[in-house]
Amino acid sequence: MVLEMHGRPISPGRAEGVALVSRKPLSFLGGVDPETGVIIEKNHDLRDECVRDRVLCFPHGHGSTVGSYVLYSLVKRGLGPKAIVNVTADPVVVVGAIISEIPMVDHIDIGRISTGDLVEVDGETGMVRVLRFRGEK
Amino acid sequence: MYLTPDEEKLYDGEMGWAYQVAMRILVKLGDLYGADRLIPVGSAHISGVSYKTIGDAAIDFLNELVKGDGRVRASSTMNPSSFDPDHVMEMGIPDEVKEKQSLIIKLYEMMGIKPVLTCTPYYIERPKAGSHLAWAESSAVIYANSILGAWTNREGGPSALASALIGKTPNHGIHKAENRQPTVEVKVEAELGDMAEYGALGIYMGRILGEDIPLFSGLQDPEEDELKQLGAALASSGMTPIFHYNQRGKTVKELERVKVEQRDIEKTMEELSASMDRPDLVFIGCPHCSLKELETVARMVKGRKVRDDVKLWVCTSRYIRSKAEKYVGMIEASGGRVICDTCAVVTWLRDMGVESLMTNSAKTAYYAPTLNRVEASLAPLRKCIEAACRG
Repeated sequence: MVLEMHGRPISPGRAEGVALVSRKPLSFLGGVDPETGVIIEKNHDLRDECVRDRVLCFPHGHGSTVGSYVLYSLVKRGLGPKAIVNVTADPVVVVGAIISEIPMVDHIDIGRISTGDLVEVDGETGMVRVLRFRGEK
Repeated sequence: MYLTPDEEKLYDGEMGWAYQVAMRILVKLGDLYGADRLIPVGSAHISGVSYKTIGDAAIDFLNELVKGDGRVRASSTMNPSSFDPDHVMEMGIPDEVKEKQSLIIKLYEMMGIKPVLTCTPYYIERPKAGSHLAWAESSAVIYANSILGAWTNREGGPSALASALIGKTPNHGIHKAENRQPTVEVKVEAELGDMAEYGALGIYMGRILGEDIPLFSGLQDPEEDELKQLGAALASSGMTPIFHYNQRGKTVKELERVKVEQRDIEKTMEELSASMDRPDLVFIGCPHCSLKELETVARMVKGRKVRDDVKLWVCTSRYIRSKAEKYVGMIEASGGRVICDTCAVVTWLRDMGVESLMTNSAKTAYYAPTLNRVEASLAPLRKCIEAACRG
């Protein structure tokens, strides 16, 4: 089964990768280690997970606008996510995705996606596809 | 969002990567917030300068903008950095940090942004009432909208930088007259005797207001410096980019009304005041001091001596310092320091052995415990000076 969801295109580009899904907002400044890409935000449900090459799904960003630069520097160092899917885009993550040129879509019900699913994100059309669910062959 | 043919060219990258990425930021944010077009700005003020705040993250991006020939198209200024080059030893700044901080300032300068290194750019050049701006630094934003009558959204570092490069900002939010109107009256029934209490009012209301725009009634002939404290605090605990104020006795059109009583101010002051025998640092100048505030501090410390076990910092812009040699002399003769280009919140206080501070700034008292991991106590200016001086 392939699940297709239509969201709002935020940052152009297409990518496919394994989902890393959070139920909590994420702050890139102070929340993600810029040297390793590991989530270090206290009490976060993705604490100790690495964002590298994942399709990172979370409700929205929070915290300082410097977070946009953290995302840029992660991507430049090869530690960034492949794509971002949000419920509601906020300026910090939007600017971060645009300057680091990674695909981003919002207005997606991320409750339909689980960590480990194979997901495709099209930042031109706003389409998010779950190509293979976790555990499926 | 509508783009002119020239704006289209920038968006398509015909003028290079720096302008393209700046246009993408503005257009995408404009789309998100329902802007119809871009409008020219009189100036931009950029945050994200202190190495303590931004770390290494922004250096890569700023480097690319400079390489991509990004040069500002609007008069632009910079927020404070992490140290005062005239007091490096005292502030205990390691060489590596000095180099990184200098590089950040240099990269911004290469784009044409003036290194004023202050959160009060309006003392250097006061924007005209009604002019559109793209300012970051929440205390400057609320001052510009509320006291100067200029129009600016509450920008972040990257969006203010994008506006500086393009010379424009998306037309939404506070750039539209209908979004600037007060939505709630805040009737102040407390006597506010000092700037610290104006700040306490700001912290108290910021927590309550949410998206509401307040009209403060009952303030008694507030001075610009007192309103500066009110706004800085309001923008720290809350989201509003603007407030309105009315003198006692003036009538207000029918709005939902909240009352603030003396005990609300007292409780907020108490909450922002950790108990301490003697602070390691007494800090005046958040936001950076006006000429008048420097004069007030100078007159209070004249002929007195700062205690050996307490530092007295009075922070201001290099510009204001250059206008105030007499007052600077008086403060330094007492053993206090007039520090420029930075402030207590954006430097490494604990590395200097500072574990507690007293300040007349509610914004600092609100942020320092988390951003600097120091104990903070909010007190009227006179009490701050008493804590700093002997006898």
